[in-house]
Amino acid sequence: MERIRRILLMVAGLISLTSFATPAPLPDSEVKNLLARIRENRITQADFQEQRVIRLMKKPLVNSGRVWFQPPNKFRREVKGNSPSLTVSDGQQLWIYYPNFKSAERYPLGKRSPLDSTVAAINSALNLENIENTFQITATKIDPPQAGYELALIPRTASMKRVFQKLELHINDQLRAERTEMLLPNGDRIVTTYSNQTRAPVPPSTFEFKPPPGTDITTPLGQ
Amino acid sequence: MRISDFIARTITQRRGLVWCGVIALAVACIAILITSLQLDSEIFNILPGRFSSVQGLKIYDRDFEQTRELTFALLCDPQDVDKLEDFSQAFAEKLRKQPWCTRVLAGSPMATPDGIRDLQSIAVPLLLNLEPSVFDETMSILRPEKIRDRLGRLRQQIEAGSPRPEFELSFDPLGLIAPALKPFAENNAIEQEQPLTSPDRTMRVFLAVTNQPSISAFECQRLMRRVNEFRAAASEGWDGGRLQLLVTGRSAFVSEISLSMRYDVVATLLGSVLLVGTIFFIGFRRWLPLLGMAVCLLLSCLVALTLAQLLFGRLSMISVAFCAILVGLGVDFAILTMGRYHQARADGEPHQQAIATSVANLGRAIFFGALTTAVGFLALVLSGSMSFSQLGVLIAIGIFVAGLFMCSILFLFIRERHRSVRHDWLFEIVKKYVRWTVRRPLGMLVFSTAFLLLLTVVGFSPIPPLQFEASTRSLQPKNIRASNALQEIMRRMPVRWEPVLAIVHATNPQKLHDDWQRLAAHWMDLQGAGKIKSFSTPTALCPSPNWMQRNREQLGAINFRATRETLVQTLDAEGFSPEAFAPAFTLLDDLQRLADPNEPLPSWRAQLPKSSSWWFLVDRYFAQDPLLTTGFVTTNQPVSTHAQSKELRRNLSVPGVPIILSGWSYVLADLLPWSHRQLLIISALMAIFDLSLLAILYRDLRLWLIQVVTLAFGIGAMIASMKLLRINLNLLNVLSFRLVLAIGVDYGIYTVLVWQKTHDVEHDVAGVMKPVLLAGLTAVSGFGSLALARNPSLTGLGTACALGIFWSLVATIFFTLPAMAAAEPKPWNANKIDKD
Repeated sequence: MERIRRILLMVAGLISLTSFATPAPLPDSEVKNLLARIRENRITQADFQEQRVIRLMKKPLVNSGRVWFQPPNKFRREVKGNSPSLTVSDGQQLWIYYPNFKSAERYPLGKRSPLDSTVAAINSALNLENIENTFQITATKIDPPQAGYELALIPRTASMKRVFQKLELHINDQLRAERTEMLLPNGDRIVTTYSNQTRAPVPPSTFEFKPPPGTDITTPLGQ
Repeated sequence: MRISDFIARTITQRRGLVWCGVIALAVACIAILITSLQLDSEIFNILPGRFSSVQGLKIYDRDFEQTRELTFALLCDPQDVDKLEDFSQAFAEKLRKQPWCTRVLAGSPMATPDGIRDLQSIAVPLLLNLEPSVFDETMSILRPEKIRDRLGRLRQQIEAGSPRPEFELSFDPLGLIAPALKPFAENNAIEQEQPLTSPDRTMRVFLAVTNQPSISAFECQRLMRRVNEFRAAASEGWDGGRLQLLVTGRSAFVSEISLSMRYDVVATLLGSVLLVGTIFFIGFRRWLPLLGMAVCLLLSCLVALTLAQLLFGRLSMISVAFCAILVGLGVDFAILTMGRYHQARADGEPHQQAIATSVANLGRAIFFGALTTAVGFLALVLSGSMSFSQLGVLIAIGIFVAGLFMCSILFLFIRERHRSVRHDWLFEIVKKYVRWTVRRPLGMLVFSTAFLLLLTVVGFSPIPPLQFEASTRSLQPKNIRASNALQEIMRRMPVRWEPVLAIVHATNPQKLHDDWQRLAAHWMDLQGAGKIKSFSTPTALCPSPNWMQRNREQLGAINFRATRETLVQTLDAEGFSPEAFAPAFTLLDDLQRLADPNEPLPSWRAQLPKSSSWWFLVDRYFAQDPLLTTGFVTTNQPVSTHAQSKELRRNLSVPGVPIILSGWSYVLADLLPWSHRQLLIISALMAIFDLSLLAILYRDLRLWLIQVVTLAFGIGAMIASMKLLRINLNLLNVLSFRLVLAIGVDYGIYTVLVWQKTHDVEHDVAGVMKPVLLAGLTAVSGFGSLALARNPSLTGLGTACALGIFWSLVATIFFTLPAMAAAEPKPWNANKIDKD
């Protein structure tokens, strides 16, 4: 379950790129209006910096990189630094490639894998379709100088509750995600900050992945 | 003094004595039945016990824990799938709290912290049980350089963002648990084999083990009453749309089947009595003889039941349904003797003389009729099925006793003062028909021959085919909730077809281990060759004392102190939290302790918590006796033919390893030759017996040939009807052919014997044709009433027999009579029948 949770952390973190809040305190009707505006102006790429506090390690792990996203369920995430990695989802499968080890992990989606229900839920969140039913949303308006909104998303379904307890999003006054904080059931915490968000079109090839020759490919959840 | 005169004098002059004898007999039978009657509701006893596959099914049903397992399924509307997911947790908790529930499986054990912890708890014994070379390879992980390499690599992968090392280190910090569990995990992906959520998420399945003290029918009924109480309140707290709770499992099936058996016995007996009584009254329009007939039949049933109980010690509930058949058959004798008695009285004979005439004229025919019927039913003993053997013996006894009572006790219920029937329209119709047919037999003969021949050709031709249904559904009662629930679950769950069971019972743990090792290796080859789809075995959970002892000795060569120090240093160097690796140090302590030869070898059975969900998986493989085990083989296609079962037996066997292959589908496929043998060989033997008996009885080639053709027409038309009405053969109603032969031949015997001796066709032949007609109709009613049963084996048998007897009756009336009249013409209104 840990590995599933880990994947979902990365995926759910992308929610921040497309989730924008409405003025606080937000009644349900205004949340709906806000979500509708967000769906019309989804961003497609951003730089990120991530800090992970996990119980296995004494100190937090920090890495950075860039993400690309295309509704409803395609994304790409590149981690730079000493331990680089590449995560690509085309909606049917999820690849994680580790250049240092010349190895890749492939996770099938949509074949009744344990990932399916939660990934489906997350994807709907990414797409912001039906998000009101998937999460309990609490929105708060933040006054200047950090003008924007704080959104707290709490999963409604049991399967998603097993993946994370709470997802907090900070949205700036331009309706762009600046920071997310995710709390996991085992106490691990992941804080991600975003910058350079754009809405430029992304070529379809961005969401395709072909392992380089010689890559050791594993399928931790089976075929 | 002739026997008929003795009977007549005893019945008329010693009535009190005979009544006392009847009462004494009834009281004795009832007393024996009350004190010793034991009913066996075992459904498997319908199947022939000499087949090892049937024995395997009984073993699996009796000794494995799955017999106490119930499957619950929650089914909601598509828009409520998220609500169902939340509600499922509350439902599972509610289920766990039920006093009749021992364990609940609500999801893959791997998805819960407890499930992972339980798996870790059995790692040490499974580690020691590894094949020696694998064990040595695994333990090399504890070398200092390997510890450093592994943790360094995992730390880098965590930094890179891989989810896998986090999982690996949480579950298996030292790297020893995964190799130890590998053999266990390879074949036991419970979530893949038994998905607990439907693909559309509208159904959630829960497995529950109950604590019912026994698996008897009454215990199952008691359990299901409590389960139904739970079911009624289980949806409390659900705030969605329609929510269905389905329950199935062995106890649910047994409960409903046993209740349906009770219904079957009552419904078929009442239906039979009502129909037969109605026909009898229409034929004779007298109440007292009807009462007498009922008393005689009841007494016959009592005597047969008592004798069979004393003979077998335990009677199948299915065989108890013989009462309905016996009513249908026994009433024939009453109709014949009553008909002849009234005819004699109408001829002016006094009461005692009329009884003597009736018994003298028909005693021989009744004896041979009872003999052929009894032999036909006794042939069921050859079926090898305990239930049907009992049924055959019961009816054989009952029919002889009924023949005896109908020629004696029945006359106690006939008043000496004779009241003639004003207008017997039935007799008049029969008489007119007999007169017309005897005078001009050719017209009827040509017509009936053409019609029956056509049906016979249809019956015996390969087109349209007579379907043979070899599925479990052909044996299940109709419309029972447990069956409907199972179908609904199977429809929504992407489960494969039923696997073949391979049961292994060893004499000691080492032998059990070695047997499964050899089987697993062989099946792996078969899987590689594409001969089977997949398999799962308990191999990893069968401890080998030899391997464990050898591996323990290898532990002594490991420097655990150096290993511990290396682990501490590496964790610190890589930045890992030592607290998160506490289980690794515990595992090292356990292994170091086990290196001591005085320490007892660990057992996974003792270490796996009793409440663990993994027991659901373990119980699939192990019976209450840990040396009795089963493996599962999934075939490339569902097993439906005998050739498949033969090939499987040949392929799956390993020389020197005794296994029993079983499973419902496998058993039914395995039994196909048996049922075909029932259909062909034993029916043929029965026909040869009948034909030989008829040859001795008639001593007339032409009459014998006519009777043979009549039987062929009866069976041919019966098969044609089954084809046209789309009534499939199944494993049980194939028995009907011999029954039809046995019963159908009686009508010929009654008719032909009278024809041979008569010199007064109107008086004698018409006098016997009416009782034959009534007897045939009552037999059809008796068997037809089985159609009221819910058990399809009884329904199928009753329907097929009713059809066969109907056509035998038709062939006797419309073919035998005109054929005899054409072959051996008799003058109308000649002299009276010869006296015996």
